[in-house]
Amino acid sequence: MVDAVIEGIRERIAAAIQVNQSVGIQVPENRHGDLLEAIFDSICRNTHTTWTYVTVSKTFDYLSKTFREGTKQNNVKFIDCISRAAGISDATNNCIYIESPVMLEKMILEILNNFKGMKRDLDKYIIIDSLSALMIYNDPEIIREFVSLVMNRSRAENIHVVSILVEEEMDSSKLIQLNDKIIVLRDSFID
Amino acid sequence: MPVKKEVCSTGIEELDMKMSGGIPLGSTVLVTGCSGSGKTTLCMQFLFNGARRGERGVFFTITEPLFKLTKNLEGFAFYDKKLIESGMVNIIDLRIISERLGLDTEKYTVEDAGALLDILKDIADELDVKRLVMDSITALCYRLQTREMIRDFIFKLGTSLAVMKCTTMLTSEVPPQTFKFSQYEIEEFISDGIFFLGDIDRKGDLIRTLQVIKMRGTDHSRTKFALNISAQRGIELVPLLKSTEFEAFLKR
Repeated sequence: MVDAVIEGIRERIAAAIQVNQSVGIQVPENRHGDLLEAIFDSICRNTHTTWTYVTVSKTFDYLSKTFREGTKQNNVKFIDCISRAAGISDATNNCIYIESPVMLEKMILEILNNFKGMKRDLDKYIIIDSLSALMIYNDPEIIREFVSLVMNRSRAENIHVVSILVEEEMDSSKLIQLNDKIIVLRDSFID
Repeated sequence: MPVKKEVCSTGIEELDMKMSGGIPLGSTVLVTGCSGSGKTTLCMQFLFNGARRGERGVFFTITEPLFKLTKNLEGFAFYDKKLIESGMVNIIDLRIISERLGLDTEKYTVEDAGALLDILKDIADELDVKRLVMDSITALCYRLQTREMIRDFIFKLGTSLAVMKCTTMLTSEVPPQTFKFSQYEIEEFISDGIFFLGDIDRKGDLIRTLQVIKMRGTDHSRTKFALNISAQRGIELVPLLKSTEFEAFLKR
């Protein structure tokens, strides 16, 4: 059953981002893990694509233990915005640590630097996990501005953006509207 | 309407873009900011990037000893020891020159300051430098006794720099969280350009910022940028999220 859900999520994301749009995925907390599994599954399957995974909800250490295969791939780089603030600072080639989740401009710089020099026709993706976790640390207005800036720059550079919103964390209904496409995951089905 | 001029590229891509390619050749730029805002790093990157383009540079320091300065630089990818060894980047401690001239290194008279200026000019001429940095003009002026002496020295410095034909950066120290360009409020008048490096407090974290306040002869941006200092890439700029400004305004 879980596999079918993950497969369903993976297909929905793939279908949405094929048309070069930004996708917002609204998910209940108890489905967040399944969504991440679907995303890491996509990363593993699509080795010809490049991904930047911005994590604000789980530490890179947690992700690498939980999704071992997905996080070890050469086509994905991580930007961990919460470990430093929590006093964790393991050095790794695959992950850039940002001092604090309020340093939004630094996140933008690291995202853009990650894609610098890459071929224009290469499929590039940014995962923001999650906008609702960013809102724990920042005011809604500045997150709206951040999302707008990331999306505008991404469109200009042909990068797809997938942003996650965890329902229980914050009322982020306005934020998700910034996306071109919205996928809503429920407990038992996908809207 | 700004006339298209020859420019001196800082080598910091985003900064050059804000000034239509770079600093107009031969200009004097005041790089102003509080402690830790990135003034010295920006100036060093300017010199090393210039040296890579074949433009010799000199850095006059009066605040930090040479060993400390170079040690701090070693962590940056733009730093290249060979450029120092080959004489493309020259780092000179003004206190050592003062000592050799027999001057009191802590207090300068008008004559001392004049002699020092002549030496700076001679060094710049002899090395045929295209880029010059003085770090900092505030510390240099601090050694002068009266406001009149400072004013006189700064205007003489401005005249000397104008004839040197090299692009100059003068660093200026100001207290944190202030919108002031210099300690003595004269330094900006001899400058063709001003880079203002500041901080923004966002929920207790400090975000470095940079704003080009003035750059004569260019159609430059006056937008405020967030500044990041990275070991790999040195100074990097990205537009500052404006809601921060609004928060700071509300706090004030």
